[in-house]
Amino acid sequence: MIYAKLNRKDFASFFESLRKYGKIYGPVKISESYGFKEVSNVDELSLDYPRTMIPPKKFFIKPQERIFEFNEEKAEYLEIIEEERVVVFGVHPCDINAIKLLDKVYINDMPDKYYQKRRENTIIIGISCHPDEYCFCKSVGTSYAVDGFDLFLHEISDGYLIRAATEKGYELIAINKDSIKDVEASDIDEFKEREQKRLTEFKLDLNPFGLQDMLELAHDHAVWKEYADKCFGCGTCNLVCPTCRCYDVTDLMKLDLKTGERARRWDSCMLRKHGLVAGGLNFRPTRVERLRNRFNCKGSLREGMINCVGCGRCTVYCPASIRYVEVLQKVRGEIK
Amino acid sequence: MMRQENVLSPTPAKIIKTEKMTEIERLIQLELLNKDFAQSFIYKPGQFIEVSVMGVGEAPISICAARTKPDLLELCVRKVGRVTNAIHNRKEGDILWIRGPYGNSFPMEKMEGNRLLLVGGGLGIAPLRGVLQYALQNREKYGEITVFYGIRCYSMMLFREEFLRLFREGDKQNVKFYLSYEDPEDKECHQLACERSDRCTQGVVTKLFEKTKITPENTYAIICGPPIMYKFVVKELINRNFRPEQIYMTLERRMKCGIGKCGHCIIGDGTSIKYVCKDGPVFTYLDALNTKGMI
Repeated sequence: MIYAKLNRKDFASFFESLRKYGKIYGPVKISESYGFKEVSNVDELSLDYPRTMIPPKKFFIKPQERIFEFNEEKAEYLEIIEEERVVVFGVHPCDINAIKLLDKVYINDMPDKYYQKRRENTIIIGISCHPDEYCFCKSVGTSYAVDGFDLFLHEISDGYLIRAATEKGYELIAINKDSIKDVEASDIDEFKEREQKRLTEFKLDLNPFGLQDMLELAHDHAVWKEYADKCFGCGTCNLVCPTCRCYDVTDLMKLDLKTGERARRWDSCMLRKHGLVAGGLNFRPTRVERLRNRFNCKGSLREGMINCVGCGRCTVYCPASIRYVEVLQKVRGEIK
Repeated sequence: MMRQENVLSPTPAKIIKTEKMTEIERLIQLELLNKDFAQSFIYKPGQFIEVSVMGVGEAPISICAARTKPDLLELCVRKVGRVTNAIHNRKEGDILWIRGPYGNSFPMEKMEGNRLLLVGGGLGIAPLRGVLQYALQNREKYGEITVFYGIRCYSMMLFREEFLRLFREGDKQNVKFYLSYEDPEDKECHQLACERSDRCTQGVVTKLFEKTKITPENTYAIICGPPIMYKFVVKELINRNFRPEQIYMTLERRMKCGIGKCGHCIIGDGTSIKYVCKDGPVFTYLDALNTKGMI
């Protein structure tokens, strides 16, 4: 890891230097919430944001995207691979860890070219944060980003302590050599202090150890019915979840009935259609099954990482006020 | 195997034969047009492909024959939804688009030297036909093959000519082919039951267990049928002292992508989450015991 220091007075020029790598997206306040939006001026940023409504997964798996355009008559199709270069600025550790989970799904023995290309074309710059009452990343081990970013900015009193995890990240430091300095001992001391203090700020706690067994043993527990009765089945939790990545595929035919496109878009396991096959058989026909499936999916491990990063979005945005951690505490028998 | 660079890109396949088997099922023979791709398109019994009709969509369909020529494959397609209806409407010479092969497969090597018991219900016989063909092509590697095929009625019988030949003359190849039919009024099936009362019975497929002595020694059972069937067949096998790992089955789910990404075919709980398209579709009964909701 390469460490460096960015002084607050040089922040704006550093930010502007990113522009030549692509469009810069950063956290921006949108009415009552926050979202990653294209940022044309550094003043638009809200770097002390608690969380965005839509997680940064949207940069890699688009809410809706074309896979290819086809011509049925000529029996041919044209793949549509985007080449746009993007800088995503100000990503929290939980979201960076969520992207690492998505990588495990999308870049493996059968890599998804669309996702992979976007990952290659995206610079990720992380930023340190403070937990609010919905955050429980500390519990699931994602409160710190070990890697998965190009640069990570840890706020200290007069600027940022920077970690560079990739070649691209190092390059960003190199091109800003006039404004980015070496880290001093006092910066390191403050970084340590702030990291320690941050860990004491968490209010919400979830015990992740053995959660997979607890979920499995709770297969017939009354908790699923209790919360399924509250749940609207709207799928908001899926849309705002940084690790939910189910997608559906649709062919859209143009009016000439010869040409069209194959598109995919985010899907939701809380919707009735998710387990439905042709002929009308549904493998998860009731909301109880769908809710249980979602909690089991989130609580399961993928290559040793739990599929939930503790960002709190599903609780914050649930219109039925279902509290994710509370459900799992009931599953564990910690509360009745 | 060599993969195309884009896993979501299908390859063209020409329909060289489309044959009506029943009112709702057709046998579709496809020829891969990209010959380089065909060389790397090596499929095993139990695997499936994603079949597209451009403008309509994609559906997972199991391959119903063992691989003989590299560029040929056979599908048994029941018209049940938009894509399969469109496939039925396609003519010989038309193009379908395919991706695959996907999923694991039946462990044909592991089963060598053993007897096979294939239990198929309805359309479930289609993937089992691939196993049967493979075992017959490599006849010396397998012991006695017993087939239990359950149908609703004679007109719903798939691969009729082929299976009736096995029903009547299978013993020459050490294949015992049993047939059950549900419709008590069915005249043709009744005729078959009169012809070979030891091999054909009226009732559900599990009734065939009464017709023959099935023992677990050196035997693998392979099951495929409608979801309701598995529990009952498994029960018969367990009653006959089959161990859970001797029982293989292949499952149906909504396998939209085929490569473990789209999420629809997820099954299991906390410790046992699986994606049927990638971790299956072939599982053992031991897997089912470990995975709630699998059958």
